[in-house]
Amino acid sequence: MAARLAWRDWRSGELVLLSAALIIAVGTVTAISLFVDRLHQALLLESANLLAADRYISSSAEIPQAFRDAAAAQGLDMADVMVFPSMIFAGEDKNQLVSVKAAGEGYPLRGKLIVADAPFARGTPTTELPARGEVWLDSRLFPALGVALGDQVEVGMHTLTVTQVLVNEPDRGGSFFDMGPRLLMHLDDVPATEVVQPGSRLSYRLLLRGESDVLDGLKETLPLEPNFRWVGIQDASPRIGNALDRGESFLLLGGLLGVLLAGVAVALSAHRYAQRHYDHVGVLKTLGATPGDVLWGFLALLLIVGLVSVLVGLAAGALMHLAIVEALSAMIPVQLPLPSFRPFLVGSATGLICALAFAMPPLVHLRHISPMRVIRRDLGPTEVSQFVTYGAAAAGSLALLIWYSESLVLTLWTLLGTLGVLLVFGGLAMLMLRTSRVVGMQAASIWRLALSALQRRHRESTAQIMIFGLAMMLLSVLFLLRTALLDEWRTQIPENTPNHFVLNIAPDEVEAFDTLVATASDQRGGTYPIVRGRVVAVNDVSVKSMREAQEAAGDQSDGPRLGGERNLTWSIEAPEDNAIVAGEWWAPDDPRPQVSLEDEYALERGLALGDELTVDVGGVEVKAIVTSLRKLDWESMRPNFFIIFSPNVLDDFPATYMTSFYLPREGKRFLNELLGRFPTVTVLEVDAIIEQVQSIVDRVTQAVELVLSLVVVSGCLVLLASIQASKDARMREHALVRTLGGTRRLIRGSLAIEFAALGLMAGIVAVVGAEVTVSVLQTQVFELSNRLHPELWLTVPVLGALLIAAVGLLGTRQVVSSPPMMVLRGL
Amino acid sequence: MNSINRVVVRAENVSKVVPTAEGELTILAGVNLEINAGESLAIVGASGSGKTTLLGILAGLDAPSSGAVALDDAVITDMDEEQRARVRGRCVGFVFQSFQLLGSLTALENVMLPVELRGERTAEDDARALLAKVGLGDRTSHYPRQLSGGEQQRVAIARAFASKPTVLFADEPTGNLDTATGERVIDLLFELNREFGTTLVLVTHDSRLAERCDRSIEISGGRLL
Repeated sequence: MAARLAWRDWRSGELVLLSAALIIAVGTVTAISLFVDRLHQALLLESANLLAADRYISSSAEIPQAFRDAAAAQGLDMADVMVFPSMIFAGEDKNQLVSVKAAGEGYPLRGKLIVADAPFARGTPTTELPARGEVWLDSRLFPALGVALGDQVEVGMHTLTVTQVLVNEPDRGGSFFDMGPRLLMHLDDVPATEVVQPGSRLSYRLLLRGESDVLDGLKETLPLEPNFRWVGIQDASPRIGNALDRGESFLLLGGLLGVLLAGVAVALSAHRYAQRHYDHVGVLKTLGATPGDVLWGFLALLLIVGLVSVLVGLAAGALMHLAIVEALSAMIPVQLPLPSFRPFLVGSATGLICALAFAMPPLVHLRHISPMRVIRRDLGPTEVSQFVTYGAAAAGSLALLIWYSESLVLTLWTLLGTLGVLLVFGGLAMLMLRTSRVVGMQAASIWRLALSALQRRHRESTAQIMIFGLAMMLLSVLFLLRTALLDEWRTQIPENTPNHFVLNIAPDEVEAFDTLVATASDQRGGTYPIVRGRVVAVNDVSVKSMREAQEAAGDQSDGPRLGGERNLTWSIEAPEDNAIVAGEWWAPDDPRPQVSLEDEYALERGLALGDELTVDVGGVEVKAIVTSLRKLDWESMRPNFFIIFSPNVLDDFPATYMTSFYLPREGKRFLNELLGRFPTVTVLEVDAIIEQVQSIVDRVTQAVELVLSLVVVSGCLVLLASIQASKDARMREHALVRTLGGTRRLIRGSLAIEFAALGLMAGIVAVVGAEVTVSVLQTQVFELSNRLHPELWLTVPVLGALLIAAVGLLGTRQVVSSPPMMVLRGL
Repeated sequence: MNSINRVVVRAENVSKVVPTAEGELTILAGVNLEINAGESLAIVGASGSGKTTLLGILAGLDAPSSGAVALDDAVITDMDEEQRARVRGRCVGFVFQSFQLLGSLTALENVMLPVELRGERTAEDDARALLAKVGLGDRTSHYPRQLSGGEQQRVAIARAFASKPTVLFADEPTGNLDTATGERVIDLLFELNREFGTTLVLVTHDSRLAERCDRSIEISGGRLL
């Protein structure tokens, strides 16, 4: 029975829209999920490359065998790495401070080493490691040491042969002290060098590779505190972690809005389908169909249509995603991993929930249709049932959203924004349309016919304004967030950010150094003098006695301590990207000794404005008053200082200078010239890190754009479904107008104006709703700064009017083109 | 044929009151009525007199505010919608002024529908025979919108008889048809009525149609005259 009903309805085209909405809902969600899933895996892999592993444990002490046993028991892959600075020697008189990395079998667990046969060549990936007795050197070391491939260098007590040029390693970044030119050797050669002595600066790492949950489980079981640090991508590179987090939140939000929009489309078309079957059900009932028959008949029908649509949708989604991958293949250089099963599950569940929450309620209520309807056509379903309908849809959306986004916060804010907008503006639109109610159809003029039509169907018009408004609002929200995210990412690492840091420039070299750098780079960071020193007393109370007092009070907290040796600098001007958050920066001619502290540094150590710090610099004590606190951006890739003194405090101490500059990849050879002229300076290259960060941000950006465009498709579908939903009433009315002598021009014009007015009002609703929602989402979820977007205030309503008028006219072509008689008889 | 005076439709003190903005509106007031098996009865009256409401209540499409209705010995006013639907399916047929064919079904499928609803298998052959009987044997695969008004009403009549009902209710069956077409449709209705021995209850304001019935009652202001 149900199958026959479905087949007949399908044949007559009654189910096409419902089915299309379901297919598109399932298809969109499946495609987005598939793509996001694969991209997410790719991004995770890529960011794992930055660690050369999925996680690692790092320590200045040797990693205990117990850790390895625990990891092995979980089936994780491991590799050992040691990093230490060492002076190496070549030939008679050449030596250079390098950062040695000694790697064990398996390194790198993620990403690849890039090697070349000649210094400064581009290089190719390799899966090998230096064999025992061999070393691979950074390009820069070849001229600096005057060696070539096949020559020998001495590391500690061991002599090793240079066999390759090391162009890049996945985890080149890391901490600042790890940034000398690299020497890569085999871990097993380390004992022979005899560099591992008590007190040597060593960093041990145990790299780990495996499933996320297994890794997280391992982390819980290991006694890491206080000596071992567990490092994931979030810890190693908070910038990339943030970009990933926000990007993912956005993708989820996009997919989620796509689901919502598709759900609305499904609800609208199911509602229309049900409406067109009121008579049908009435007749069936007069013929003896019981309410139960009607209920089960339509439910079975929905099940059949739902199943078929879900299957078609899954296939369509898979195809769509393949098309996207194909289209973006040029932009996505990484090999995408195979998708997991989850996207298909997500797609199917979406179809099911859409069918249950959005399509089922209107169909279920068909059983309440009175058989008297065959005689008296005004009998529709009861009012109560409509509340149930909306309730079911709301519950369905909530379940879908929470499940899909796995984020209660994101979901609740989105829903609250949406609901608030609907309530406020539904009321407003209703009021607007009701107050100026005119009498009659006003068919004499195009304008008045259109406006009277809007008012006569004020209930439907309100609903449409809200639905159009909602669709446009969600699109605007997505668009604004995307723009905000991209802006944020772009400003984080601007083009030509200094990507080389130079330390240890002697005071008498500064000028010559500047002149030389100017020939190769026009992008410079500031130049800062550096003096090493440590805080020994605060307000004349020694740090040592403060610590003892703390311990006596039973405070075991191993929070941040004063007293460590730090880089100190002084400056007349405040660094340009530092913001003063308390106190005032000193005037250039202020003779008093003053100091400015980084905000959090001060907070964590209980320091405040007005405190007097005593600092020990090479055995001489100086004093200065804290007169300002600064906030600074640790992700800015510029030299940053916790402690900056006013100019007159540290002037007399011997200082070295540091600076930074931008060097494009093709200009790297300049480093040789630089190091040739100034052999004592230390150059830190961070260009590789910056490039990696940019590539990941680019990837996330593409995904964001893609999701936006898919959601736009969903939005258009809602518009179409909504116009379809009101088509019958419009067609009947306009057929009547035409029967009574209205011209096609009159009808087309009035339809255009009616839709444009709907679009305009919907646009206004959308703009206000979007501003509210975006400001909440930006501050609560994405942690971006908030601002209004006046550029949208006019654009969205006008675009709304144009778009709705165009889609509306397209959707109601039939109203205008079919003979009125056919319309009247067909309804 | 069914000349034994068995009562198939009985209404006792049936009233229908609906709430409106201006207070309660009485549509039917204390209607008593008995209709015998095989009888044809016309309910006549002006527009708004309550005749269509009475028909709906007699047929079990609507429930009265008070009073009792028995249809083929089943007291339908004591039943819920589920049970009433079964009674309708078993012993009631309908013909409506606006035909009420299902637009998504062909003529044949429309006629098959009542029998299909009962779950019987012979639907298609019977339906073809009935369509041939009403002169539409060659239009079985046409959709309602492809048929004229008279043709649609003939399909509706074929559908009404498909379930071999005890009572056939007709609401202004010629209301949407021209005189000549109306005549032919009525001829067909009475012809099939005789052939199937059905009880016929029809609402009309067409006096010539009312005259062809065995009995005619007039309703005014919700009361039988």
